[in-house]
Amino acid sequence: MGQESSIQSAEPLHISIGQVPMSLLFAEEGLREKAVSRYRDFAGAPDGLQIRLNHPVTSFAESPEFEYTLDDAGLRLRESEAEFRGVRHEYALDSLIRILLTVRLLPEQGFLLHAASIVRDGRAYIFMGRSGAGKSTVASLSPEGSVLTDEISLVRFQDGEWRAHGTPFWGEFRAAGHNHDYPVAGIYCLTQARENRIERMLPRDVLRAMLPCVLFFSSDATANSLLLGLLVEFLGQVPCHRLHFVKDSSFWDVVAS
Amino acid sequence: MSANGHGHARVFCRNPKLAWREIDGEIVIISPEDSSVHELNETAGMFWRSADGKRDVDEIVRELASLYEAPVELVRADVDELILDLTSKNLLVDSLMQVRP
Repeated sequence: MGQESSIQSAEPLHISIGQVPMSLLFAEEGLREKAVSRYRDFAGAPDGLQIRLNHPVTSFAESPEFEYTLDDAGLRLRESEAEFRGVRHEYALDSLIRILLTVRLLPEQGFLLHAASIVRDGRAYIFMGRSGAGKSTVASLSPEGSVLTDEISLVRFQDGEWRAHGTPFWGEFRAAGHNHDYPVAGIYCLTQARENRIERMLPRDVLRAMLPCVLFFSSDATANSLLLGLLVEFLGQVPCHRLHFVKDSSFWDVVAS
Repeated sequence: MSANGHGHARVFCRNPKLAWREIDGEIVIISPEDSSVHELNETAGMFWRSADGKRDVDEIVRELASLYEAPVELVRADVDELILDLTSKNLLVDSLMQVRP
C-alpha cells in the first residue's frame, strides 16, 4: 500500500520531444529527479501520452498494440497509454523513450536517425554516420549553441517541409540539445578525409547508408512499409551528399557553399 | 505448355511480410523479421513488380521478352535463376504454398 500511495503522490513529468508530448508517471522519486534534470529543456504540456514507469500492476486490460523488451527493461504501448517496466536508471529510460518515439512518430511522418543535426543560417544540416563516423566531431567543431543533437536526430514532415528537431539524446558531445526545430538543408554522409570535399549522392545510395542508421524496432510489415516509404520521400525531397572532411571547422566552407 | 513441364502454371507472389519500395529505378526490400535489406536491379525489379500472385511465370516471361526484345528462352533462364534466388531468401513465395514461418 505504501508503494501505491507514493506512486499516486509522485508529480508527473511532462515532456515534449519532436512535438510528441509525454507525461511520465514515476514510482521512484530518485529516477524522477534524474529525468527532471535530463529533460529539463524539453518541458511539455500536461496533455501527453501517459507513461507509467515501474508500476507493479499493469493497467492494460487488453493486449498492447506494440511491445518491446530491451535487456531487463521493456515497454508496452496502446493508443492512449504506455507502461515502462524494469527501468533501473536514466539511460534505460532514455532508450525506452527513443523506442516509443519511433512508434509515435511514424504516423506523424517522422523518424529517428543516428545523425548529428546542426543549425546554420536558420537551416538544419544533418550529418549521418554510424559510431566513429564523426558525428560528435562535426558537432564539436560547430559554433556553441548550434547543435540540435550530436547523436540522434529527429526528422518530421510538417507544414509542407522536412524539419529537424532537437533531442535530449546525445553522444560524446555531452550537451543536452535544444528543443527547437528548423527546416532541413540537406543530409550528409560523413567520411573523414585529408581534404574537404562534397559530392552529390543518388537517393538510393543514401538510403543504403541510411537504413542501418534509422532507429526502428517494429517487425510489423505495414509499419516497415510506411517507414520505407517515408525515407524514400525524404530522400527525394532533400539534397543528398557525401561529405569528405578534415577535423577542423573548415568543413563548413564546403557545406555552406 | 508450362515452363515446369508438369502441365500447371507457376505463380509466385512477393512475401507479404516484407516492405519494399522503388527508388532511382531499383527495388529496395526490407525483411522486418531479420532486419535484412535486399536490392534488385532494374530488370529483376521488373519481374518483382509483376509477381503479384495472379500472373503466371510464362506470361511474365513473354512480357519481359517483348519489352527487352530478347529471346523468350533467354529471358526464361534468367527469370528461373532469379526465382531460385528470391525463393531461397524467402522474398518470393509460391502462391500455392504457405509463407514459411
